[in-house]
Amino acid sequence: MVEAKKYRVRFAPDNLSIEVPAGTDLHRAAAMAGLELRSGCGGEGTCGRCAVLIKEGKPQVGQGNLGAKYRREGYVLACRTLVTDDLVVEVPATSRLSEHQLVVDKIGKREILAEQEADPLARYPIDPFSRKIYVKLDPPTLTENTSDLSRLLVKVRQEIGREDVRIDLDTLRALPETLRQGEWAATVTVSDYDGNSEIIRVEPGRSEKPAYGLAIDIGTTSNVVQLVDMSTGVIVDKRGTYNRQARYGDDVITRIIHAVDGKDGLKQLQDAVLETLNDLIDSLLAAGELKPEDVGYVVTAGNTTMTHLFLGLNPRYIRLEPYIPAATSFPIVRAKDLGLHVHPAAPVLSFPAVASYVGGDIVSGLLATDIADAGAVSLFMDFGTNGELVLGNREWLVTCSCSMGPCFEGGGIAFGMRASPGAIQRIKIDPRLFDVKLSTVGGDNPRGICGSGLVDSLAKLREVGIIDRAGKFQEVKSDRRREGTDGPEFVLTWGREAHGGRDIVITESDVKNLIRAKGAAYAAVRSMMRSMSIELDGLDRVFVAGAFGNYLNVRDSVEIGMIPDVPPEKYQFIGNSSVKGARVALMSKKAWAVAEELARKMTYLELSVDPGYMDDFMSALFLPHTDMSLFPSVRR
Amino acid sequence: MPVEIQKERYTSKVATVTIGATKEQGGTRTSVVTVGGDSTLPFLQFEGEIPNPPVIAMEVVDRNPDWNLSLKAEFGDDILSDPAKWAKKCVDECGAQLIYLRLQSADPELENSSPEKCAETVRKVLGAVGVPLIVQGCGVDEKDNVVMPMVAEAAAGENLLLGTAEQDNYKTLTAACMVHKHSVVASSPIDINICKQLNILINEMNLPLDRIIIDPSVGALGYGIEYTYSIMERIRLGALQGDRMLAMPVICNVAYEAWRAKEANAGEDEFPGWGPQAERSVLWEAATATNFLQAGGHIIVMRHPKAVKLVKKAIDDLMVPNKY
Repeated sequence: MVEAKKYRVRFAPDNLSIEVPAGTDLHRAAAMAGLELRSGCGGEGTCGRCAVLIKEGKPQVGQGNLGAKYRREGYVLACRTLVTDDLVVEVPATSRLSEHQLVVDKIGKREILAEQEADPLARYPIDPFSRKIYVKLDPPTLTENTSDLSRLLVKVRQEIGREDVRIDLDTLRALPETLRQGEWAATVTVSDYDGNSEIIRVEPGRSEKPAYGLAIDIGTTSNVVQLVDMSTGVIVDKRGTYNRQARYGDDVITRIIHAVDGKDGLKQLQDAVLETLNDLIDSLLAAGELKPEDVGYVVTAGNTTMTHLFLGLNPRYIRLEPYIPAATSFPIVRAKDLGLHVHPAAPVLSFPAVASYVGGDIVSGLLATDIADAGAVSLFMDFGTNGELVLGNREWLVTCSCSMGPCFEGGGIAFGMRASPGAIQRIKIDPRLFDVKLSTVGGDNPRGICGSGLVDSLAKLREVGIIDRAGKFQEVKSDRRREGTDGPEFVLTWGREAHGGRDIVITESDVKNLIRAKGAAYAAVRSMMRSMSIELDGLDRVFVAGAFGNYLNVRDSVEIGMIPDVPPEKYQFIGNSSVKGARVALMSKKAWAVAEELARKMTYLELSVDPGYMDDFMSALFLPHTDMSLFPSVRR
Repeated sequence: MPVEIQKERYTSKVATVTIGATKEQGGTRTSVVTVGGDSTLPFLQFEGEIPNPPVIAMEVVDRNPDWNLSLKAEFGDDILSDPAKWAKKCVDECGAQLIYLRLQSADPELENSSPEKCAETVRKVLGAVGVPLIVQGCGVDEKDNVVMPMVAEAAAGENLLLGTAEQDNYKTLTAACMVHKHSVVASSPIDINICKQLNILINEMNLPLDRIIIDPSVGALGYGIEYTYSIMERIRLGALQGDRMLAMPVICNVAYEAWRAKEANAGEDEFPGWGPQAERSVLWEAATATNFLQAGGHIIVMRHPKAVKLVKKAIDDLMVPNKY
């Protein structure tokens, strides 16, 4: 058998080299070299996001969605380009799956909701799932000759006041030496495993380190890990990055298809998310000078599909009518079964889901608020690729989900991106000259537009008359308003000021996509309110969570008809509520019990069988809405 | 035993729109037409007020049209080649309450008449009749956007009803109506949301709501008439329930739709069971028209004098008070 010819590919400017067999596609070659490229279509050549520039060599270039201008300049789509020569490839920043830096932006203005600071933990009794106790044992003698374990268990039972204490086998193996090494003083990590107390670690003597746990949000687009000191509940450190499953597609549906259609698809997706999480964990541990063994508990929250993929469960029937998940409450597992870089015996809890499209992240989000404890009627909105909503109070809760598409997270938008450095987050347009002032995440040169910037753009383009209420571009006197390859567009930033030198534009089809997304969300709000006979003035509070970086301009969001027109003071922005709820659960067994109850008791509304939803959706495809009485504060 | 009649009470009513202007009002019309004002569903007079009966507008084209010969025979080529004479005949002999003038010759594929020529035609028709005018462009947006402002200017003060504004092309016409004091036909493709959106968009340009007429797009009998029926029903219910953006009176272009139905044109030789084409076509137009009366149409655009006669009779019958 002849071995396939190999070629060397060098990626600039990173200067990463890799030798790959002939016929490997560039997307894969980049991944092998340790460089993650963007992909929204799973390698179909339709999203146009993995464009790279061939500097040297002649690859075999396939078809795909890339403008003629770029092709002429030597750009190709990495996923459709096969290595058939030694290559030097330049990877522009816009094609990279870059580090998702968490935005901590504090803007004090009233109508811009910065994240709330109150600690949701305050509402629950502190009773963490994992704790460390220091014990001093009496050394054994010829008369006091019970086993090492019995000696330890007696003390531990006394300390924690529980009888049901067990020990993990590996810990037991090391126990005799550990106890003697510490001269019969030891620090014991006790974690709760399915209702039982289990000793998962014994350290000799007195350990200075507290018990650590991880609160994890497994989002479709980004993952966040918080390292929590379980003796105090303090967040020691946190990290976030893109979910590497993105290389198999932007949304849950594409990923489900990948998981069930291909060979090893499910395994690939599970590995991708575990890799992502392990990188974050490694980085947290390195920064805190900790070892994996120091982390004795993990709580994760994710939507139903993400939890399925994380645990390696078959997600196929989530996608197919009547949309049935394998499970809504998930077994507790050990870190070693998944390969997480924490203590091998550390229990891993996954938040229970309500239904296929209302997942554990929402249940977790509720824990992070007091919606389920208060008499006031609250609306909870989590905007992402899917919008999930909860309406109710301590007596009743209804929930539903709607497909918003990926556009508020940057997908399907010409210059869309997530809220990472360089993302345009706020804009102002001069009503006469149409000059644009903008601010970006981190103050970097503009790279693209993130969710909050898109909301802002829509509102401002409308306000100054560049688009009409139906989202159609109007003729205005400005060279920023021009005809692009895909129809009318408006230039937000000229190439000379932008990262990468390309003009950053928002196109008419972007606008239409955004209107559909916000329309879907608002229609879901309407359908849910209608089903409970709640009018606008019946909403006491509105919580907004999700993908908009760390703040949302309420005025603009109302102006475009994405969120209900209630006074700004009723709004609270809670950012990534999913990871917050995970931390609450980590620190309070009571809170976890509440979460399990919430997941059971929430009433799920299936919008696809609600005959009014389509009408609501059609009426919401307008800025703000065709029923202006729903938006009394919007200027006419 | 007395029967108690259940009556629905609505919170609101259809807006009224007046077309045309008399000398005192700044125009030259001898009569004006007011439509709308209904506070109930069509013809349920025991339940609410119907202050203005539906009206018939007869279609006049600015070129000898390619119509069915049986229809053309009603007028004769001499009349059909002269919009002014044609309009006069419609008013004097057929009792048309409005003239619907279609400036078809402006179509670049046809005579490509200049805006000036079109404006002149409008002036001539205005001179020939005393009833108000509806003026409709040729349907090619770019051309209409030049023609209609010229027409609007030439007939400033006459309070014409100008058509048509559509979702993708409403600004020029609306602006012309604003400046020269006319009303506008807002046309949507059998879609209540687009209908409403367009009304909002037009109103946002500051054209008052009582200068907008809804064209919901109609279909002829046998060609989806029920879709329009249900859209019109929803528009009326919206109006009665207080939705100001759906409260405008409705125009139904029965003429064009009924006369392109196969049933209105096919000869008896082709379908012996269908009966004579000349009678059948009249009935087709009249049946389509009366359907839209029942659906809540306020202005019915028609072609055939005999069909007009039938429908006028139907309106008279339906307007007999049926108070219980």
